[in-house]
Amino acid sequence: MSSSVSVAAEWDLLSDRFYRRLTLYSPLPWSAPAPTSTASSSGVGGAVIGRLDLSTHIVAAAPFGGPIAAVRDDSKIVQLHSEPSRRRLLLFSSSGHPIASAPWPPMLPRLHSLAFSSSLSLVGLLSDGSLLRFRLPDLQPSPSSSPVPLLPPASGGVADAVFWGGGVAILTEDNRVVVATDIEAADPHPRDLADPGVGDEEHVLCMAVVEPQFVMSGSPEVLLAVGDRVIAVDEDGVQLLGEELEIGPVQKMAVSPNGKLLAAFAHDGRLLVIPTDFSRIIFEYECDKWDINNNLHLQAYDNYQLISSSLPEAIEACIDAAGHEFDASRQRALLRAATYGLAFCSRFPHERFQEMCKMLRVLNAVRDPGIGMPLTIQQYKLLTAPVLIGRLINANQHLLALRISEYLNLNSEVVIMHWACEKITASPTLPDTVLLEGLLDKLRLCKGISYAAVAAHADNCGRRRLAAMLVDHESQSSKQASFTFVLIPLLLSIDEQEKALSKAIESGDTDLVYLVLFHIWQKVAIEKKAHLDFFGVINARPVARDLFMAYARHSEHEALKDFFLSTGRLQDAAFLLLKESRELEKNPMASKGSPLHGPQVRLIEQAHRLFAETKEHVFESKASEEHAKLLRSQHELEVSTKQAIFVGSSVSDTIKTCIAMGNERAALKVKSEFKVPDKRWYWLKTCALATVGNWDALEKFSKEKRPPGGYKPFVEACIDAGQKTEALKYIPKLPDPRERSEAYARMGMAKEAAEAASQVKDSDELFGRLKTTLAQNSAAASIFDTLRDRLSFQGAY
Amino acid sequence: MEPQWRVALLSSPVAAASSAPLAALRQCPLPQPSTAWPPPPRCETPARRCLTRPICSSISSPVVRLCLRWSGAAEIHPDLDRFLSNSLTPGQMAQIPNLDNAPINLAALREQSQKDLLGILKSIRGKKCLVIDPKLAGTLSLIIQTSLLKEYGAELRILSSDPLQTECTKIIYLVRSELSFMKFIASQIKTDEPKGLQREYFLYFVPRRTVACEKILEEEKVHQKLTLGEYPLYLVPLDDDVLSFELDHSLQECLIEGDTSSIWHVAKAIHKLEFAFGVIPNVRAKGLASTKAAELLNSMQLEDPVNMDDMGIQEINTVILLDREVDMVTPMCSQLTYEGLLDEMLQIHNGSVEVDASIMGTQQDGKKVLRQKATSIQQDYVEVKSTNTQSVSELKDFVRRLHSLPEIAYIEEMIHKQEPIENVLRLLVLLSLTNAGLPKKNFDYLRREILHSYGFEHMNLLYNLEKAGLFKRQESRSNWVGITKALHLIVDVNDTANPSDISYIFSGYAPLSIRLVQHASAEKGLFNFILKKCFVTFHYPRSIEELLKLLPGPHLDLKRGGLTINSSLEVHPGSGVQQSIDRVGHRTLVLIVFIGGVTFAEIAALRFLSAQEGMGYDFLVATTKVVNGNTILKPIISNSKEGMM
Repeated sequence: MSSSVSVAAEWDLLSDRFYRRLTLYSPLPWSAPAPTSTASSSGVGGAVIGRLDLSTHIVAAAPFGGPIAAVRDDSKIVQLHSEPSRRRLLLFSSSGHPIASAPWPPMLPRLHSLAFSSSLSLVGLLSDGSLLRFRLPDLQPSPSSSPVPLLPPASGGVADAVFWGGGVAILTEDNRVVVATDIEAADPHPRDLADPGVGDEEHVLCMAVVEPQFVMSGSPEVLLAVGDRVIAVDEDGVQLLGEELEIGPVQKMAVSPNGKLLAAFAHDGRLLVIPTDFSRIIFEYECDKWDINNNLHLQAYDNYQLISSSLPEAIEACIDAAGHEFDASRQRALLRAATYGLAFCSRFPHERFQEMCKMLRVLNAVRDPGIGMPLTIQQYKLLTAPVLIGRLINANQHLLALRISEYLNLNSEVVIMHWACEKITASPTLPDTVLLEGLLDKLRLCKGISYAAVAAHADNCGRRRLAAMLVDHESQSSKQASFTFVLIPLLLSIDEQEKALSKAIESGDTDLVYLVLFHIWQKVAIEKKAHLDFFGVINARPVARDLFMAYARHSEHEALKDFFLSTGRLQDAAFLLLKESRELEKNPMASKGSPLHGPQVRLIEQAHRLFAETKEHVFESKASEEHAKLLRSQHELEVSTKQAIFVGSSVSDTIKTCIAMGNERAALKVKSEFKVPDKRWYWLKTCALATVGNWDALEKFSKEKRPPGGYKPFVEACIDAGQKTEALKYIPKLPDPRERSEAYARMGMAKEAAEAASQVKDSDELFGRLKTTLAQNSAAASIFDTLRDRLSFQGAY
Repeated sequence: MEPQWRVALLSSPVAAASSAPLAALRQCPLPQPSTAWPPPPRCETPARRCLTRPICSSISSPVVRLCLRWSGAAEIHPDLDRFLSNSLTPGQMAQIPNLDNAPINLAALREQSQKDLLGILKSIRGKKCLVIDPKLAGTLSLIIQTSLLKEYGAELRILSSDPLQTECTKIIYLVRSELSFMKFIASQIKTDEPKGLQREYFLYFVPRRTVACEKILEEEKVHQKLTLGEYPLYLVPLDDDVLSFELDHSLQECLIEGDTSSIWHVAKAIHKLEFAFGVIPNVRAKGLASTKAAELLNSMQLEDPVNMDDMGIQEINTVILLDREVDMVTPMCSQLTYEGLLDEMLQIHNGSVEVDASIMGTQQDGKKVLRQKATSIQQDYVEVKSTNTQSVSELKDFVRRLHSLPEIAYIEEMIHKQEPIENVLRLLVLLSLTNAGLPKKNFDYLRREILHSYGFEHMNLLYNLEKAGLFKRQESRSNWVGITKALHLIVDVNDTANPSDISYIFSGYAPLSIRLVQHASAEKGLFNFILKKCFVTFHYPRSIEELLKLLPGPHLDLKRGGLTINSSLEVHPGSGVQQSIDRVGHRTLVLIVFIGGVTFAEIAALRFLSAQEGMGYDFLVATTKVVNGNTILKPIISNSKEGMM
């Protein structure tokens, strides 16, 4: 790269700009890879300087210093020297170092052209108009080895084609244009453009594409040079361009990267620069030796006079120039010049300088022939550091990628992760333990890295044991970043269900717990294992157990019962039986007194026995025993009264019903059978008698003996029924004046209420309430006011 | 939709358990409304439209209980004032909450939910029938006008087990991921088949697909017929300062069933908030579910980090997570704020109250009848307020008397009279919680009386309440008195017009939960200042650590690092909320998350705190659901009865 010629001599003036042509790498090694080499093992170090005759190959060079792909052009006659006769697809770095090679798939139509897509996969267009795609860096056909057709069979095949970042435009032999805008998609959806109307006798000289992102309509515009005219074809129509410019037949066209300009090489040797709308000629140059085909990188460079201008600008210019320079010694000279200036110029932002140094270090590192990515500084800025790192790891340059990411303070996780996965792929014979050690060594470098993702890759490579070991390690090392959504399906796939369940529970996401539960459940069902295994697993984990129970209550009753019984949760099994008994009751077939009544009682008795087996559920045991007894009594009552109104009601309601029906004896029988306390009995009987309006019986009942809970039940029953006269029989018997007062108030008897209230100590609040209660009665209200005034006067407040 | 009007006007009291002496729970006839009423006192903070003024004293007056049915009918805004002055007519849609005064941009959050929903409708061309589960219908009314859904060509239906009646050929099910809904969907699809209906089915899970639901669909063999999707609705703003996760069953799932799904949901929702408003640097949690949620939040940040560099300022300074389980006493007490009372009596659903049409009689002037009812309720409280202020000591008495248990006789009487079981249980739970259970003799006796009075089908209910620790046998000494003393839960309210402490909310009882929040946000913060100002003698005999140990569940304190990648889990015990006013022009925002529900009274207490002069904090409340004692107990009662728990 260094040259003894003066710097200025390298530059040529073209119009008002200086240009130069750089030789980046020379000589190129071009070694043919060893025949046995696999994708990644063809080492750079062992390369032998060889030859690659570009003229006999179909070649594609990726933009942005990417790799070069080549395959021998079988339409040309070539003399074979020492190489094998079978064609191989070759991949080189920009510096000509072999990266990979693979045999060209046999039995295919002829290859028309090769190209790289914007995300660096290699695309081959076959002469029948089908696409064959290859993955980098191993050159494996992807997604499948069969080509994807883009053209209809009758089109006659490819006459010419132009690729751009994501798409291709094909000119067919029958002069139609087909475009596909997403050649990386599984189905690229080729579309016919409008018929360009080129006659059979005419010949398309060349074509170019204005990429879709530069066209208003969002679909690509294809320029065709036909005879002495240029036409633009898009989906909607055909347009004749630049007739008035009189360019004449165009031999070659190229669209500028921003889609605005077109360089056209006319048949008379003129090079023209025209806007893509052909509105005028911007620039015209007579050239004879300029080869438009060479994809030159044109670089403005007009820095030399700048040293004399003002200092900060000069420093800026030096730094800038260093950035554009490929030669390290010249970079150094320029940067040194900048530091001289910097010393005198405190205003200048020093970070600019440091930034440039950093960038140059990265650029020089990747430009090294060993790596072979001759990026310009603009390309680097467009590409960004993370993408560059991505390219490096795809080229298996992990160490450099790691160094760069460390140097730039970027997260090195992606590098190490990729390395680990590649390592696993590339080491099929290494024993698990050895490989694990090697992997862990590097994985430890990066805090918080997901072992799960690496383990998933190991599993994909058929190394389950290694995957399990990695997962094991994950659970030991990092509790926090568990990345469960990757990990759990992985654990399930390697048959680590219990671990998966624990992880799912740890994640706190019940949905994941269910995922694992159903997985295990299904497996148990398929393998016809006893449910016991499953039950054992979930019983040890309360979260899983409770979730299973919640789900099973909806749809897995039998399994739930099994679970309860086999894990000793007898009380829960008993409650489940009770639930079943109630469902029988709801069943429309289970009409009262029908034979279904029997099963219902039997289920309850079963539940009773289960409760009894536990020590802690004596209460439930007794209660279910009583429940069964009640159902039987109610059944008998329904038979004897011939009325289906008892089953399903409570003990209290049964008693009330009996009394309301006038069947005191039956009520008493229920009372003694269920040991109903006297207090409740009084409430129930008074209520029932009042409901049927049997006031005589009520009075008789009040005189049987002194009621154990007082006369309150009688008062309430009468008041609720609105029976003033009846109520007055019992109100005076209330011992508490407050209760008495309120009872009178509820009957609307203001005077009596007030009198009773006046016997209450601390009666203010009571008065307020009474007043509200009797608010509709203004006379009553005034009684209260008087009384209260009198009381407050006495100092009761 | 023809509403099913049904009414029952009960003159039964609310279980005014806490502050009311139990004797006050008595049936009295319904009072007549008076023609004039004093305007309800309002909180001074204009941003708050709540009704947080104290109504001192117990409810000793009768109250109106309206039994409500899902009817989609008349709805009353919780603001009595506004409700009375507005001309509401039956059938008016619920109002989408106004979020103009929210401390963070909740409106943007809601707009996103709106957009997501409309996106689903747009993605399916032509006329379609949108089938929503009953609960979700209420939730969606907080996000979007029904009319807008109709504009997008959607016909609305509520999911049930009945066959679907519609002309549409495209059916979109939008339901929460609950197993029972899957069965409904399966049965609807299956009934369509023999009729030869050519329908296209879409199922959107809210908030996400779950394996268990899909498993049911597979078992019912309808999985293949459905196109599945998700509607990621994790939380809904109810008010300027209240968010709901809309997890109705969270409490019973965590407490009884052991299903921890809602904890994951809560963590996910907070993490989503973090994507919008920045990583919350301080996390404090008390209770099993809360600490678990805090840990999950941390691991979510590790797996799917919120990039703090892109975020600018962190809008939420602290999140305090609290299990309802830690304080079950408060929801069992009767709420004595207007909003709380309305919820107790009329049940506020999605910011509105549904009133059954038949109480309006044959006249269609619902406004008038509603006015009467509301007036009479209000009249009662005004009356109550004017009567006395001396019942403050009653709670003290209540606590003291619990040891002699005369209340058991009262509860026994309620059971014998077969009063609604939830009223009975509410008292029993309160009694059991404050006494660490009931003595075995009483416990077994009352349980037997309950089974005899209400039916043996409640056996499972009693067992579940026991499992949840809500109603159990006494095995140890109660530390309730110690807790009330240590946290100053019982405070005399001297000046009810200008209360200085949150205890006014329950007329002398400061909710335990809110005291804990005060603690968690205080220590080194401004709270201490406030507390000292209010109570000169306010000091804690025990350290907060000791105190927290008396309450159920572990506690956790996290400070989250500044770096995205290595945000490590550093524990800084005892460090309070940093008091930096880091949001320009705003006060420090504290997010308080209640797992298992919060009552309106507690929300009012927090608003009261944040409205205090010199207070450096704004509170944002997030809850699985707004609850009260009855809404906690009722689903437990019915699910236990059906054996689904």
